Amino acid sequence: MTAAPDILAEAILISQGAEAAIYQAILHQSPSSEATPVFLKYRFNKQYRHPTLDASLTRSRIAGEARAVLKCLRNGVHVPGIRLVDASQGILGFEWIEGKSIRMLLGGGAEGEEETEYTADLLEDEDAVDSPEDELQSLYGLTPDVLMAMIGTEIGKMHLADVIHGDLTTSNMMLRRMFSTASSSTVELVLVDFGLAYTSTLVEDKAVDLYVLERAFASTHPDSEPLFATVLQAYGKTMGKEWANINRRLDDVRLRGRKRSMVG
Amino acid sequence: MEVVSYPHLPAELSRAYIALYTSVTNAGALRKRIINAASMQGREGEDEREAVNYAFVDPRLITSPLHVKTAVLQAVMAQAQGALRTKTVHSEVLWALNPSNNISEAIRRYGVSEACTALLVVRVDGSALEPADVERKMGAAVQGQLVPLTQLGRLTDWVAVKKCHKLNNELALKVCGQDGERERAVIDNIVVSSVAMKSVMG
Ligand SMILES: Nc1ncnc2c1ncn2[C@@H]1O[C@H](COP(=O)(O)OP(=O)(O)OP(=O)(O)O)[C@@H](O)[C@H]1O
Repeated sequence: MTAAPDILAEAILISQGAEAAIYQAILHQSPSSEATPVFLKYRFNKQYRHPTLDASLTRSRIAGEARAVLKCLRNGVHVPGIRLVDASQGILGFEWIEGKSIRMLLGGGAEGEEETEYTADLLEDEDAVDSPEDELQSLYGLTPDVLMAMIGTEIGKMHLADVIHGDLTTSNMMLRRMFSTASSSTVELVLVDFGLAYTSTLVEDKAVDLYVLERAFASTHPDSEPLFATVLQAYGKTMGKEWANINRRLDDVRLRGRKRSMVG
Repeated sequence: MEVVSYPHLPAELSRAYIALYTSVTNAGALRKRIINAASMQGREGEDEREAVNYAFVDPRLITSPLHVKTAVLQAVMAQAQGALRTKTVHSEVLWALNPSNNISEAIRRYGVSEACTALLVVRVDGSALEPADVERKMGAAVQGQLVPLTQLGRLTDWVAVKKCHKLNNELALKVCGQDGERERAVIDNIVVSSVAMKSVMG
């Protein structure tokens, strides 16, 4: 295995996944200007794959992710800007989004915590901790319903640009507060992690993208499931006349999903 | 002048010195000097090439300090990896800034021209140089007034930037409506992102 790129030596490791490691880093160190952090994603080599094949695979995945993000930026979809691309070493750098993931804000817990769900039940009658809903209200001034509408709108904008996310989950959405002036601020829903994204105009691809999110909602936020209707409502409003077809196709996709799980 | 360091890169590439000058009076002469230096012989030629061994950038197409720093970082990384697409790390900065792959277009658009009244000057080098020394040598090449990099964005020709990056019909700009400040931030984010990902754009 090749050594980790030097740029990571001074970076802070945030998480280590199976495919990539996540870091926070400073790209332009300068005594005379404020240091703004970036979010670095390092796709390390897979030892079991052929090195040349691996390099070209990494390169095309990085190119694909960067292009999807740029397309979103040009179309006004809220995504983090790109700050560094080093395809030969497998590194992508994004604007650092100061905020929380929707998964956390809806009380879904950290990723990989599914197995320990019972601990949440044990804690339920201790009212010491802020409920996620309170946090949503106190930190961002949003009701769950408004949040759902923001999610639907942002996905709609992305699909209007013919970008399919490929991995829509509540971990891949964040809320951030944008300060336009000292006194006024707005809250933005930001879509992240375009590692599986691609471009498509097909109704089928858009419907499947939505279905993936619907399933993710059902499994990580069973209490919020009824709220999903609000996501679709806002999505439909943004999509305009495309919505009727996608909605019909979404029904088909759900049916196929159900059949598959009955067989499986 | 700002000194940006890249501790993760080889010593000879570990620093970039970036300075912005306004009220520049010798842009035309400087351009001729750069062209002549390339073909001068002997010791004299070496000295002359060293005297103009910078990337000279027209700040009218630069949207922010981050914009130029992003181009410099991509150029320095290309040099460190032996992957320059142009002759030097300094011409690579101009290449990184330009949306297309045509280097002579990059120099024409982003390089110094007679019409420049402001100039951004970049030197990539090791840490052995004294910043004060670099600043003095830059000042010997450019006749103008040294100002902070934060002035970038105020010298920008936004109409030209939009044209250069084909932004006029983009939804991201349309939704800004009359909010000029917001529109400039959106443009800057797109432009910075385009520079950062240029190596995989082709
Ligand atoms: N630009 C950003 N700034 C700050 N935090 C971010 C940014 N992008 C993503 N995150 C946070 O980091 C988490 C992981 O990011 P991301 O999903 O891109 O990595 P990943 O390794 O591909 O994850 P996974 O494969 O598990 O989905 C996200 O859930 C999000 O909360």
